[in-house]
Amino acid sequence: MDKLDTDILIKKRETLIKQFLCGEESGFLEKHACVLDEYFFTMFEKSISAKKMTIAGDPFAIIALGGYGRKEQCIHSDIDLLILFEKTVPPEVEAFVQELLYPLWDARFEVGYAVRNINECLEMAFERFDILTTILDARFICGASLIYTAFMEQFRSDLSARHLKDTLNYLFEHGEKRHFDFGDSTYLIAPDLKSGFGGLRDYHTLLWYAKIKSGIKTRRDLEYYGFLSHFEYLTLEDSLYDIWKIRNFLHHITKRKCDTLHFEYQKKLAGLLGYRSKNRQPDVERFLGNLHKRMDFLKQINQITFEDIIANCRIKKGTAEPRPTKTDGLVIKKRRLYFANTVVILQKPDLLLKIFLESGHRKIPLSIEARRIVNEFLHLVDDDIKKDPACIKIFKKILSLSYWEFNVLNVMLATGILEKFIPEFSAIVNKIQYNHYHLFPVDKHSIRCLQIINSFKEPGKSLINTLYSSIFKEVRNKNVLLFAALLHDIGKSDPAKEHSKTGAKIAKPILERFGFNATQIEDAVFLIENHLILVKTATRRDISDEETAVYMANKIGKIRLLRMLYLLTVADSKATGPKAWNDWTENLIKDLFLKTIGILKKGELASKKTQRLIDKKKSDVLKLLKERWRKDEINSQLESMSRRYLVYVPAQSIVDHINLYRNLGDKDFIWQISKENDSDIRTVSICGKDTPGLYSKIAGVFFLNDLDIVASQAYSLGEEHILDIFKVKPPKDRIFEKEKWKKAENDLVHAIKDDHFLDNALNKISGTIRVSSGRHPEPNRVRIDNETSSFFTIIEVFTYDFPGLLFSITNALYRNQTNVNVAMVATKVDQVIDIFYIRSLENDAKIETEQGLTQIKNAILNSLPQITAKEVKNEKN
Amino acid sequence: MKKIEAIIKPFKLDDVKEALSEIGIYGMTVTEVNGYGRQKGHKEIYRGAEYVVDFVPKIKVEIVVSDERADETVETVRNAANSGKIGDGKIFVLPVEQVIRVRTGETGTEAL
Repeated sequence: MDKLDTDILIKKRETLIKQFLCGEESGFLEKHACVLDEYFFTMFEKSISAKKMTIAGDPFAIIALGGYGRKEQCIHSDIDLLILFEKTVPPEVEAFVQELLYPLWDARFEVGYAVRNINECLEMAFERFDILTTILDARFICGASLIYTAFMEQFRSDLSARHLKDTLNYLFEHGEKRHFDFGDSTYLIAPDLKSGFGGLRDYHTLLWYAKIKSGIKTRRDLEYYGFLSHFEYLTLEDSLYDIWKIRNFLHHITKRKCDTLHFEYQKKLAGLLGYRSKNRQPDVERFLGNLHKRMDFLKQINQITFEDIIANCRIKKGTAEPRPTKTDGLVIKKRRLYFANTVVILQKPDLLLKIFLESGHRKIPLSIEARRIVNEFLHLVDDDIKKDPACIKIFKKILSLSYWEFNVLNVMLATGILEKFIPEFSAIVNKIQYNHYHLFPVDKHSIRCLQIINSFKEPGKSLINTLYSSIFKEVRNKNVLLFAALLHDIGKSDPAKEHSKTGAKIAKPILERFGFNATQIEDAVFLIENHLILVKTATRRDISDEETAVYMANKIGKIRLLRMLYLLTVADSKATGPKAWNDWTENLIKDLFLKTIGILKKGELASKKTQRLIDKKKSDVLKLLKERWRKDEINSQLESMSRRYLVYVPAQSIVDHINLYRNLGDKDFIWQISKENDSDIRTVSICGKDTPGLYSKIAGVFFLNDLDIVASQAYSLGEEHILDIFKVKPPKDRIFEKEKWKKAENDLVHAIKDDHFLDNALNKISGTIRVSSGRHPEPNRVRIDNETSSFFTIIEVFTYDFPGLLFSITNALYRNQTNVNVAMVATKVDQVIDIFYIRSLENDAKIETEQGLTQIKNAILNSLPQITAKEVKNEKN
Repeated sequence: MKKIEAIIKPFKLDDVKEALSEIGIYGMTVTEVNGYGRQKGHKEIYRGAEYVVDFVPKIKVEIVVSDERADETVETVRNAANSGKIGDGKIFVLPVEQVIRVRTGETGTEAL
């Protein structure tokens, strides 16, 4: 018999669900609950064991609890039942439960039930909050209604007489804990429709609170008893309608009670719910945008509830009322800000803005009433207000007062006043980006980004936070940075275009409206347009390569812009979500920042002056090469050369190098000797494959062949080649100069092949030098600079010139496992300052250990001959 | 079957992905990892404070392929990740006992 009844139930339910899925869903939840009611009703009527118990003097009531009790039964929601006896629970009840529930279980309904007597029930209700709330929603289905009424009366009187305060406290604390456990669900990639922040639970909580406080019966009473305004009640209905609909469809496609809107279901649901892509915005983003709007409202409901609890029932004793506000027209009551009255707003519409300034300043939230008023008086925010310098000043001030813990801007957004002030902002409100990466809609993300920047005000707890806060202190105009943060994603309104570029265009008139000067606007627009550049460069280019930092430094150009850009980048990534920000990314971006600021501070390779110099040199090279048809090829070749090279090498030598490089082929090196017009100096331009010690070997070969090096520069070309220039005095024997050079070339071929070919030459360097200058000779000095460059250890050697000097030093460097990447060697009369940029051969980075640095310093000092003054010798004579 | 684990420089990821897709390998697991090896960390100084980067940020790419494809895959990854410099990374090749596709229960190379 029961099989038949279950079949009827299943059939009715299926028809109902089918209708719902076809769009005839009106009142589905209630109808669904009624179908279940009917089943229980029939079963109870037919049940013999039920009759037996009643006759034996043990009548009972079947009561619906929880969502079923509220008649809000979603497709796969649990069915919670209470079988309630007055005093004793007879053993026969087991047979009844079998009759009643087994068929449901067999048909895979999720049924939970409890069999209790009234006292047990009351005891448990006041012991366990989850039971208490289900009882708040209890609804009689069938059986002995007197038992139900007796129970509920007792429950209500116990509640108000003895447990009111505890219960409300519990409601409050449980709410806080739930939000802590589930997080800000509206912004999670997979929002929890029921338990998350902005989930249905927020509505349930208000309902429970209203039931506890005023004994309301239905949702409709929320407005009648003044818990919600009329407008709020209507919005609540709309929000619940949408969320329930989504929840039902979610249950339907997952075929189970699934309340988490997982990423993989979102697209399918958007389609099922009839969302269509519009204006290039995908259906799923429109769907999620609407859902977030709805959940946002439930969040407000939550705030309304908790403010009401605090205001009416839960004022802690001993907390002093904050001192009154000094702003005319505002008052503080129970730690909430209110407008003194509405007339005053009409007279002074700037109060609509001032209340947020006061709120941010004093960290006192707006009362719900004040929020409602702001929203209803928005029309007063007209062009006069928006252009009023005083109001603009207030607005800017508010931006710097928005923190994560105390979020004035979000309240401004929720009341609509933010959009009123910046109408362009509307385009990104509740704008969802459908991917695993973005956790927040664009508007909330932008506000979060701004808040994170404000949080840099606090002294950092960790080393990296100290870095952020010290940089933040150095930012002169914080408003520029804050506006850039608020507007950095404003271009996302148009999904088809590159949002940073579009954003920069949209932002410009906004910044003008807010009275920023030309430089400030330029800065903010630059920040918006380039807010992704640090992240992109850090992940897509080799940051251990100096050229990356040089590129970055040139692109950004100014230290103040780099500082702001760095903070914006960090805040933007942090505000996006855990996929965009972790220690790994943090380290990478920090590294790029520090390296780039190093380059900018030094200014050597990135300044307007160097840029002009390089541009001129490039055009000179093109002229000298006289190969206009190969312009593109030459330009790209010049691009691949390091900036340091382009700055320091004369145009003619660059031309020589380009020609040499073209002819290098398979050879290890190739050189060209040119004679300058009237001087007795030869310029040797060398292009070769970068092998360890090459620079030292070239110097060695010149020494071996009595070619005195006057000056020299060394550079790398890309990863694999070197470009060097040597200025040398020609061989003494001019007649056979050509042969001499040929021999030197041969020697170099040998030296490259045989690492010890030049060992003998080393021994020929004399152990002492006599200095001819009249004064006391300076001792040899080696200075190591490990701070100026992030990429190289810079070594400066001060000594007197002697034959084989360069060979001696560079050989010492090579034998100590370092590579000379850049060298600048010059002789002034007999005084020498040689500068070498070296990197360790072992790990291709600068030398970091003290031990390593000392070792190199000593090795160089040992390689230099002792200096004696000629006077000393004269005295002896 | 073989599992190929490659530790590469972050900016080489796109090159490696592209090179692999050219030989028809699309599936891989990519993880951001920190390495500490011959290429040691370094320190930077800002306003007198030292910021030490202990670990070097790297990317780990994991690919499982049939035995026949292992050499080709390793070679492809190596070529794509190579810049000739220290810190270009390492590639590990490990034997894989079994692969099971969770949804269908397919095993072995079928499940790749």
